[in-house]
Amino acid sequence: MMKSFLVTKNKDKFADPPKFNERKDYRPADVKETGLSFVGHEISEDRTVINQFLHYDQLYTIRHGWNSRFFIGLLDGKIMGTRCPKCGDSWVPVRTHCWNLNCKLQKTEWVEMPLTAKVHTWTIAGWSGRSSLKRLPIILVYASIGTSKVAMANELHGINPWDVEFGMPLKIVFKPKEQRVGAVIDFHFEPVDFWKPSPMNEEKQRIKDLVTPVYEWVKTLK
Amino acid sequence: MSQKVCIIGGATTPFDYGATGFESIEGGAAECVKETQQDVPEFSLRDLDLMIYSHFSVHFGHQLAPEWIIHDHLGLVGLPHYRVENGGNTGGSALYAAALAVMSGHHNVVGVVGWETMDSVSQSQGSEFIAMASDIRYELMVGGIYPIYYAAMANKWMKDNKVTEEDVALIAAKNKNNAMDNPKAQWYRNDHKYITVDDVMNSRLISYPIKKLDCCLMSRGVAFLLVCSEDYAKKVNPDHYVTIDGVGLSSCTIRAGDRLNNPGWNERYGPGYPEMTEFAACRNSAEQAYKMADIKDPPKDIDFGEIHDAFSTSEAQIYKALGLANENTIAKFIRDERTSMYGDIPMNPGGGLLGYGHPVGATGIMSTIECYYQLAGMIPKKHLSKKTEVPDPQCGIVNSHAGTGTSISNFILRRK
Ligand SMILES: [Zn+2]
Repeated sequence: MMKSFLVTKNKDKFADPPKFNERKDYRPADVKETGLSFVGHEISEDRTVINQFLHYDQLYTIRHGWNSRFFIGLLDGKIMGTRCPKCGDSWVPVRTHCWNLNCKLQKTEWVEMPLTAKVHTWTIAGWSGRSSLKRLPIILVYASIGTSKVAMANELHGINPWDVEFGMPLKIVFKPKEQRVGAVIDFHFEPVDFWKPSPMNEEKQRIKDLVTPVYEWVKTLK
Repeated sequence: MSQKVCIIGGATTPFDYGATGFESIEGGAAECVKETQQDVPEFSLRDLDLMIYSHFSVHFGHQLAPEWIIHDHLGLVGLPHYRVENGGNTGGSALYAAALAVMSGHHNVVGVVGWETMDSVSQSQGSEFIAMASDIRYELMVGGIYPIYYAAMANKWMKDNKVTEEDVALIAAKNKNNAMDNPKAQWYRNDHKYITVDDVMNSRLISYPIKKLDCCLMSRGVAFLLVCSEDYAKKVNPDHYVTIDGVGLSSCTIRAGDRLNNPGWNERYGPGYPEMTEFAACRNSAEQAYKMADIKDPPKDIDFGEIHDAFSTSEAQIYKALGLANENTIAKFIRDERTSMYGDIPMNPGGGLLGYGHPVGATGIMSTIECYYQLAGMIPKKHLSKKTEVPDPQCGIVNSHAGTGTSISNFILRRK
């Protein structure tokens, strides 16, 4: 009795907790939180060495807190940035406090960014983490979105890997609304409509030669 | 109060992926201590007054606070201990902590144990675990793994500095071939072959301009290093000790894209630096170490180094950040092979991460041990031949590096 009384009392002192009224669960059917379990072992022929298989499956809750408007923005097909009212710097990815030490951790304000960007640097991935293998080759660019002072990483689609260029103008394209998950994978970059690739050259040919086997290899993945 | 910091010994297990012969981390640590005791018979575990543990990810280790298992196993109950974690710069940061402990005069004999067991999970799962040290809110699942971020940085850096794929391939071949003289190196133990620039150029694409042979290895391994005061060094290993004359540790943004226009760097180095291409934390920490060790002209004053070549491209970027060359001279610096065993400033004679391996928490400790062996004249004893012995070295640099250049340390070691 005593304990629950104290909890109620403490709650009165603080801000109201958020009321979560929209909840979606889109995990694949085979993903289950089973906790820790020993699921197998192997022993060497001479029975001097054993390896044991431990399975650990954990659901994390990423509490985005003050950064939330960026991720909710993605669900709405918007890129939300932040801006310092003191020095005027703005960012995507967002900062909830200014990075300029003279601004003394000034709280920033939210601004909706235009859906345009510019390539700062790029690479063509022929290998990646387990969850990305089937999408190879991937063009990854770092691009500055709108007035942002920083560059953000994301994929560039709608172009041959060898045609990407430094400084090329991009637009931001969102997945259809029903496929969005509130993460940066909800959007990608594409060249702006008027952009045309430059003619084939030695470097482009080199990249083409490097990615050709990647296309072949991806076809063999189940 | 400030006292000189020395290194008097150290050893690693063989680095490998899968079985190494020392299958448990505490068993590996014990074997590293025993090898050190053979080199320094006067050293007793009783002399230690602090243990620092260097370990990156419990994701790989499936055990929280695994340092407690090692410490207990070594019979060190009662001795103060703590763990240092700082991404790929975990080893360098642990060494930094050990150096500060001795420098302060509060401790005199500090043991550092570093390890990682990256073969606990599949290679592709391992890559994803490491990627969780990127900002997962903004970077996970887009491209997704570190070589891709490094490739994006290196691609622009190479164009800005007129460095070619062939140039960095020279570095990859150099380090893997150096490892062929080092029986504990993963490249020696597994792939076991000499390679050429063409082999690197023809290896599969990881992320342009980085190919498979431009990349370091995922590893299991343990390392032990003995850091102490000069009084203790003179007492137990007077003929084979080295001094740590300079230390530096610096930091940069977690996301590489946030380095553009960053006020912290603008203030120090002026606008337009480090761009997304230069390792500012390397330059900054090297400047600290150089100042402390009175290094005025790095390529002249430093005889060799063990540096963080997670990718051949990063080794090239590090040369520049260490002040060994500038944007006008870097390509020639590489092409002249000045960092090969025949050059005037050999880099990674021990094989580096590309050849020896990269069990994260053990890596910076391994680099320090190799640097120590060179300065203490122990290479003929530790490597297979004198091919990878730097002739008469007086001064070496150790470099340890994390994230996308997010934390970097540098140390100047001198023969005593
Ligand atoms: Zn501001």
